[in-house]
Amino acid sequence: MAAAAAIAASKGNGGGGGRAGAGEASSSRRKKGPGPLTTAYLVIYNVVMTAGWLVIAVGLVRAYLAKGSYHSLYYSIEKPLKFFQTGALLEILHCAIGIVPSSVVLTSIQVMSRVFLIWAVTHSVKEVQSEDSVLLFVIAWTITEIIRYSFYTFSLLNHLPYLIKWARYTLFIVLYPMGVSGELLTIYAALPFVRQAGLYSISLPNKYNFSFDYYAFLILIMISYIPLFPQLYFHMIHQRRKILSHTEEHKKFE
Amino acid sequence: MGVEILDAKTREKLCFLDKVEPQATIAEIKNLFTKTHPQWYPARQSLRLDPKGKSLKDEDVLQKLPVGTTATLYFRDLGAQISWVTVFLTEYAGPLFIYLLFYFRVPFIYGRKYDFTSSRHTVVHLACICHSFHYIKRLLETLFVHRFSHGTMPLRNIFKNCTYYWGFAAWMAYYINHPLYTPPTYGAQQVKLALAIFVICQLGNFSIHMALRDLRPAGSKTRKIPYPTRNPFTWLFLLVSCPNYTYEVGSWIGFAIMTQCLPVALFSLVGFTQMTIWAKGKHRSYLKEFRDYPPLRMPIIPFLL
Repeated sequence: MAAAAAIAASKGNGGGGGRAGAGEASSSRRKKGPGPLTTAYLVIYNVVMTAGWLVIAVGLVRAYLAKGSYHSLYYSIEKPLKFFQTGALLEILHCAIGIVPSSVVLTSIQVMSRVFLIWAVTHSVKEVQSEDSVLLFVIAWTITEIIRYSFYTFSLLNHLPYLIKWARYTLFIVLYPMGVSGELLTIYAALPFVRQAGLYSISLPNKYNFSFDYYAFLILIMISYIPLFPQLYFHMIHQRRKILSHTEEHKKFE
Repeated sequence: MGVEILDAKTREKLCFLDKVEPQATIAEIKNLFTKTHPQWYPARQSLRLDPKGKSLKDEDVLQKLPVGTTATLYFRDLGAQISWVTVFLTEYAGPLFIYLLFYFRVPFIYGRKYDFTSSRHTVVHLACICHSFHYIKRLLETLFVHRFSHGTMPLRNIFKNCTYYWGFAAWMAYYINHPLYTPPTYGAQQVKLALAIFVICQLGNFSIHMALRDLRPAGSKTRKIPYPTRNPFTWLFLLVSCPNYTYEVGSWIGFAIMTQCLPVALFSLVGFTQMTIWAKGKHRSYLKEFRDYPPLRMPIIPFLL
């Protein structure tokens, strides 16, 4: 579900994309909206994010080569991962102030779910940081985000290579399930430690007459993937058909 | 005159009504349209002059519209509809009933040894009375006081609304009636003060509902600027457009202080957010419709919001 930032992408987060289920062809028309200063800012934002996730990708590769194994690579990219994924919160702001034509609610859900996984699960439950499932979703997110942010960058500059568009609307087929699996396995791995430590939980009696069981909450989160994942996945498939076939027809006339 | 009805999305011709009286209202045209398409009862029809324009009102008269000898109207299906009264009754009856399930500690909620036991805290009994009174009042107002502008709303709203009301009611009731409930820190003083706030705001809210009802004759849809009456509770109209919402928030704040229960505070916050959105919308409509709208008024909180 957090890997559904790929969906946020397709929903037109940051110029072009799914909301442009109306087709990329119209993206240049829509760009009439944001002025030159806004466009410059968005280009810088998307370039910085692309670079950030590239740093994470390179970091993973280097750590793998240095260690000789793919276990516990999280520690080598922990800081840039936290920084750049948390930075994505800005995208909510972009929608809220209208410089990006996406739904604030949708973007919020997608970014918050990523931030939740990074901070409230992986960071908070140290014992899961050495799990392989973490690597699974980090790789999925890294590839997805590099493509997504470069997609936005190129779209804003009106120079979108077909390869990037293809990648964005095709690789999700593998990356999305991969990311979701990584996320679910990580949350599942965290459960016993949450239970043991009573992490983020408060029980009765207390003077606020309130209780919260983080363990139960995490289970609810996991269950929520069941209705959400298929919906988002098939939406992307649908978008793919629309957008890639549309471009095919245009290419015929070039 | 002739009236042709086209689908607003596909422009497909759905129906042609000929020999329609020029003085016919949109409501009558909707009834005629239903005859040829019975699945689209009038409440779910939106007819408009422009496919992307605003819906025409039921009271609009055909000949007063900017149409030629044949009127072209665009139809949009609003989806299954349900009456406002039905929605209100369902969404309010739920909390009333659900809270009592927790109050009486019905089995399977708290653990066998607590089944059908009673709290030893006075405030818990008081809270049950207040909560129940609140929803009984709402039910009675729905049946006897409110005059609704619209007959219906989309069917999916009932699921959304009931989830909200019933969900929060269960959540609050669970803690207030819990065997491990902790009474307010400042004891009887806190409870008395909170109860006073609650009662005053309930009376206030009711006074506003009555005042609003008296603005509008039965069966009509007239809209007038509400003004303070002799009832002091309505003097809040001097400062806000929607004092009913102001009093409602006040009631829930009172209830939150009385029970010292965080879920109640959260419920109040969510309710306040929603009511502020509604109040701002209503305030804007008033300003748009009435040139002489009193400038001192704010939507929901005097001077502030």
